[in-house]
Amino acid sequence: MVRKQIIGLFVRNYTGVLQRVTSLFTRRGFNIDSLTVSPTSIEGYSRITVRILGDDEQLSQFINQMMKLNDVKKVEVLPESSSVISELIFIKVKINSEDRNKILTAASSYHASVVDLGETSATFRASGLPSEIDELVSRLEPFGIMELVRTGAIALHSGDECMVDGLNID
Amino acid sequence: MKLTGAEIIAECLLEQGVDTVFGYPGGAVLNIYDALYKYSDKIKHILTAHEQGASHAADGYARTTGKPGVVIATSGPGATNLVTGLATAYMDSIPMVAITGNVSTDLLSRDSFQEVDITGITLPITKYNFIVKDIADLANILRKAFRIATSGRKGPVLVDVPKDITAISYEYEKTPIRTYENVTSSKNYEFEAIAQAIKNAKRPMIYMGGGVLLSEATEELIKFAEKIDCPVCSSVMGLGGFPASHKLFLGTLGMHGAYETGKTTANADLILAIGARFSDRVAGDREKFGQNATIIHMDIDKAEINKNVKSKFSLIGDLKDTLSALTELCENKDNSEWIKEISAWKEQFNKAPVYDSKEFAHAYHIIEAVQKLTTADDIIVTDVGQHQMWVSQRYQFENPRTWCTSGGLGTMGYGMGAAIGAQTGNPNKRVVLFTGDGSFHMNLNELVTMKSYNLPIMVVVMNNSVLGMVRQWQKLFYGNRFSQTDPHRATDFVALANAFGIDSMRVHNDSEVESVLEQAFNLNKPVLVDCVLSPDENVLPMIPPGKTVDDMITEME
Repeated sequence: MVRKQIIGLFVRNYTGVLQRVTSLFTRRGFNIDSLTVSPTSIEGYSRITVRILGDDEQLSQFINQMMKLNDVKKVEVLPESSSVISELIFIKVKINSEDRNKILTAASSYHASVVDLGETSATFRASGLPSEIDELVSRLEPFGIMELVRTGAIALHSGDECMVDGLNID
Repeated sequence: MKLTGAEIIAECLLEQGVDTVFGYPGGAVLNIYDALYKYSDKIKHILTAHEQGASHAADGYARTTGKPGVVIATSGPGATNLVTGLATAYMDSIPMVAITGNVSTDLLSRDSFQEVDITGITLPITKYNFIVKDIADLANILRKAFRIATSGRKGPVLVDVPKDITAISYEYEKTPIRTYENVTSSKNYEFEAIAQAIKNAKRPMIYMGGGVLLSEATEELIKFAEKIDCPVCSSVMGLGGFPASHKLFLGTLGMHGAYETGKTTANADLILAIGARFSDRVAGDREKFGQNATIIHMDIDKAEINKNVKSKFSLIGDLKDTLSALTELCENKDNSEWIKEISAWKEQFNKAPVYDSKEFAHAYHIIEAVQKLTTADDIIVTDVGQHQMWVSQRYQFENPRTWCTSGGLGTMGYGMGAAIGAQTGNPNKRVVLFTGDGSFHMNLNELVTMKSYNLPIMVVVMNNSVLGMVRQWQKLFYGNRFSQTDPHRATDFVALANAFGIDSMRVHNDSEVESVLEQAFNLNKPVLVDCVLSPDENVLPMIPPGKTVDDMITEME
């Protein structure tokens, strides 16, 4: 089954690790929907979070390939049902006196707040599940989206489980 | 003690037990070569004609000695000339460390003279690669490079060293190498389930590959196969891993495997894939391969399990460990009924060869004649093409590390460099290179290396004056439209060899095969034998790509 899934990778922050990871994605035919990388609480180690569109079966094969990479210490799928997931968006919408209220209503139903106002535009910031962000974008589309930028999904296992559990960090 | 970066490189090589390197000097590696000059009594350096030849030499050295091959090249074009050699080693999991120079750190990413992002370029064709930006990291990076190259699933590793790093002095302390054990991750119940499957099987088959050679598990495999009385087929890469003379050995399987191995595969009820990866040359149709069999996959690389063909059980670990543990659990078996069935298939296409041509020499005739001259310890190297397949079908390999061929990448031009590496690493064995006129034209420049180091390699050119393998496919699938496979070249290989200062002779037809080859071989000097073959001798049988043994072609024009 082909669907969007979120993968977390715990990697050693060595030159070229991001290049190796992404080139493996493209070589195996996975479409990267979003990608974000940032430092973790452990020095020298980063976390890469990727939202991909792919086939379930290929995915497990692909995780094995990923684990072969020297700098990749752990790879896990973060399913929606057992993870905390969020994404941030800035979206700049054309705003005029007629639609003003409609836009603000639509935005507020996604808990989006205005972070900037131009003469003919308003920039909203919102966070939520990637699917909720997708919905917000479609809701605001009819009004005219001037620009938008998304951080990409980030995710952690819910509860006490951590990706770094049981890892031997050298 | 304080040493320059270049000297640290030399010392780290010595730490690893390296006594031979292959390479070519250049601007970025001047300091390294200065160090090599000082260390020349401890490290032998073979200078080739081209960096590609050096990379194939490091590869051939590794395949035939088991030690990691080392190649050194300069920056820019020197480094890019290693690409094919690295990819060749990567596809066959050969342990190799490539050390390339690069421009000084202050010149990096300025499109400087002879600068190239070699780590970026070789990312997908190396097991791992490094660029040393700080002298403090140099020694540990080299140690890590060797460890990565020689552990787990082996492969080539590249270390890129900017020129200024090779000149800086830094504190060096000799460190003994840490050996890492290859850990078997499979649980006991998995071993037992497999032992049970073997017990129940009536028509088992072992499909072995290059992994048996890389983990040096021939002894364990023989004990295992004998205990469970199981016939053994090999991929092209596995030859030598199980003695050809053993009564259980059937030969190669796959695209050009014998009829009986194809039938065995199709009729087996249990297939044990040992150190093999179900490449498309073996499992043409991934769905249909061994569809009547329970498939068991034993490999060191977890990512290979279920990659191409689904297996019911798998054992992940070093074959030396997994095979011996499994043998303990298995009971003695007798599969003589099944083996009889296989013998009947063997007889079907077993006609005595006739070598009586006055115009040409037959390929199998040449190969059999060489077999009579060599011992079981001597090494056979090939290039790529029809000649390669003929040798894999006909030559009987008794011992591991006597077979050197580019299986995964299929690199034409691999042969000369690889033969040089094999001979350098095995001075007390004879080396015979089988090559084709097509492949040989690609890297014949390395004849100069063979002569300079007086390597007594016998180069046998299977000269059918065409690009045989591609031409054969054009016969089968492209309606005899011989596009660019019939070059009508005027090259006189005998004169060519002589120009390099190498003895050479020609085999014109079947009647001259034995006498000329014997004469050449017994010279015990670098020698080239140009053999005239028919352009229409085909490699048979053949299973077309994506097909199964049911579509096997046994006859052709």
